[in-house]
Amino acid sequence: MKIALIGNPGAGKSLIFNQLTGLGVEVNKYPGSAISLECGNVCYKKEKIELIDLPGIYSLDGDSEEEVLVRRFLEKNGADSLIAVIDATKLERNLYLLAQVAEYSLPMIIVVNMIDDAERQGLLIDTARLGTIFGCDVLPAAAVQGKNIDRILPLALEASQSPVLHIPYDHHIEAALRSLEKTMGTPRQKNLLALQGSGDELALRDAAASIASEIEQRHRMSVGQIIATNRHNFARGVATEILKQGPKRKKFDLDSILTRAFPGIPILCLILFSLLLSVFVIGSWMEALIVGGFTTYILIPFSGLGLHPLAERIGYSILVAVEAGLGIAFPFVFTFYLGLSFLEDTGYMTRAAFLADRAMHRLGLHGEAIIPMVIGFGCAVPAIMSLRILKTRREQTIAAFLITLVPCSARTVVIAGIVAAFVGIIWAFSIYFIVFILIIITAIVMSRLTPGEQFGMIVEMPSLRKPRVKLVLQKSWLRIKEFLFIAMPLLIATSIFLGLFQYFGVIDTFQALVAPITVSLLGLPVYASTALLFGIFRKELAFETLAVLSGTADLGSVMTSVQLYTFAIVSILFIPCISTVAVLYRQLGLKVAVLTSVYSLGLGMLIGVLINILMK
Amino acid sequence: MKPSLREDFLEAILNHTRRYSSPPGAEDLSNGLAIDIGNVQAHLRELALRGDVVVDVKGAITLTDQGIATGNQILKKHETLQCFLSEILGMDTSAASVEACKIEHAVSDETIDRLGNYIRTPFPQSPDIQGVKTTKFCPGRGQGNGSCGYAQSLGDFKEGQRLIVKDILGRGCSKRLLDLGVVPGEIVVIKRKLGNRSIVVQVKDCDVALSPEIASAICVEPAP
Repeated sequence: MKIALIGNPGAGKSLIFNQLTGLGVEVNKYPGSAISLECGNVCYKKEKIELIDLPGIYSLDGDSEEEVLVRRFLEKNGADSLIAVIDATKLERNLYLLAQVAEYSLPMIIVVNMIDDAERQGLLIDTARLGTIFGCDVLPAAAVQGKNIDRILPLALEASQSPVLHIPYDHHIEAALRSLEKTMGTPRQKNLLALQGSGDELALRDAAASIASEIEQRHRMSVGQIIATNRHNFARGVATEILKQGPKRKKFDLDSILTRAFPGIPILCLILFSLLLSVFVIGSWMEALIVGGFTTYILIPFSGLGLHPLAERIGYSILVAVEAGLGIAFPFVFTFYLGLSFLEDTGYMTRAAFLADRAMHRLGLHGEAIIPMVIGFGCAVPAIMSLRILKTRREQTIAAFLITLVPCSARTVVIAGIVAAFVGIIWAFSIYFIVFILIIITAIVMSRLTPGEQFGMIVEMPSLRKPRVKLVLQKSWLRIKEFLFIAMPLLIATSIFLGLFQYFGVIDTFQALVAPITVSLLGLPVYASTALLFGIFRKELAFETLAVLSGTADLGSVMTSVQLYTFAIVSILFIPCISTVAVLYRQLGLKVAVLTSVYSLGLGMLIGVLINILMK
Repeated sequence: MKPSLREDFLEAILNHTRRYSSPPGAEDLSNGLAIDIGNVQAHLRELALRGDVVVDVKGAITLTDQGIATGNQILKKHETLQCFLSEILGMDTSAASVEACKIEHAVSDETIDRLGNYIRTPFPQSPDIQGVKTTKFCPGRGQGNGSCGYAQSLGDFKEGQRLIVKDILGRGCSKRLLDLGVVPGEIVVIKRKLGNRSIVVQVKDCDVALSPEIASAICVEPAP
């Protein structure tokens, strides 16, 4: 038995899903899609039930990845019954999606969530009437209090009724649907989609397109607009029928502070800054703990085993990679994810997007791009994965270039470990400053050069609410799992590769080969090239390798301040780490992956040479 | 009488009749076209001879079927041209109108048809960029009287104003906007407007944040 939860973003699906499944949530990739679905198993009356949490969507007709995924899921009868979750406080808008879901005529029940919030706002909802209109069972619930949650599953299991709903469309649309049904023999549902220009069958799409253009000529409106208007009118009709507005109580609206330019923007800066600062402080502390423990209890005993040198080399490389993965993943990336998931669950990130819209426009992007950029401060890998919230390829490409330059937590370690420790804290900040200038210049150049149309931001600002600890933890955990899944194999493979290089002496040849660049152009010691090479594998490894190769942890005694500064800036700019390149390749293709790598390599070298010349 | 003058007359008569739903007199035409009243009467006689207009005893001027056909043709040309100049090329509305008045007499029917099609879908075979669909321009524009450049956009109003959505142009024609409830006829309230015209509107009890370019593509009127 498969049951799927469907609903608007922010309708409380995830919380209900969580309360129904408890632990043991799995994340599965839906075939042919980049989006992951959360699945969980529940035992009810000795029957195994698979629950699926579909991504939150606004409509079933759109072409965003989420909408396409849910549509396909419904078309293939992916679930035996549906639990449609609607937000009682935003009834009319939620009914719009509900009406579309009902048109698919799958067995379903309706959960009217946040009924308590609605009551507090003086909204009285006639759930029985709603049930009659849609022809299925309706359950009022309040997921936050856990009210009626236990009744969802029994009801969903019994749900045998499929809603029979007929939305009255414009008569031209109805005529078109009928004629397509007759000529092409396709069901109403498919024809509706075809009229709006989507669907897989080419013949149907062509036939629908010619009718659609006729309707558009006559109505001076796109078919999508007409259909959406008809559905909204239907939703409004239902809402006025079942909704009674009692006395409204005025509540203080936090948005009156948060979305104003002042004090909204200072608050935004403060929140982001404290997020990054706390990640850095907590991260450094945890990293020292993890790396220290790992070295004492695993690396040192391992080197005491006395294995064959080659086996020892390989084993050592694997262990170092695991250490590296854990040393960056948990202290920095996980801490960052916790903070980010917390912010996301409050609904603040959409306010941030709104406030940042202006600044982002200057960079050829729009407000929503702030989310990947902020994530980039934690780690570029998840930042690039989150790029799909941007709608056009152009925005994704520009943002990808910028993200590879954003100082992620690993680069922060390099800046802190080399520059702040041996050159001075002011100089460390100057690196951030240089990087930000470079990001802005890159953005301005990129927005001129990248082809494609710019598309603005259309984003719902959900009501602010208190995040749930469990959901935040779970979200962060799922994210870190995804991160480890991508980064770990790469870390291990590259580590073995580099280990073998070292073993067979290839490293020395490499050093000699690039010595002219390292020594005369950048003014660095010969061995610095190896450290930089290791930095491709994991940025802060550049710093650690440098310490190992120079033979002392006190880098200030072997290299001049200018050398340290140059080294730090080159290593943080040049080539994004291997995991970033891999995820760039996966999300945006080979061309972007290669271009960003080449660009950052060039940029790193250029800035390094400039600093070397100017400061020597 | 020059053909362009004849066309101007027919257009003016048609416009007046539509706007005030009563036929104009010679006086109205003299004002509208900025031509001396005596000359207007001379031209009207000529038009009546050609079978374009009928002037009744009270001096009310009505168009014959032939006059209406020609008038409509020229009016359509004017509207299409003005829409193209102001909406696509971004000219000032009144400048576009003046310019359209000049071009409309020389331009061929085919050019106008093609221009009209272009306005509706400027990129007929726009290739999908890696699966990301480029937004089609809405066919809502170019309706003449009202929706072409006359209406005000969401960005022109202040915080707290209740507005009714009239039309959604160009790139605002996104599916997401429709799905969130921003459709013609919907009442929206501006909750927040920043200096750069980024806007938060309340629609169907939900807040929606919009970039300036999206907000400016949403034509609205103050709600009653």
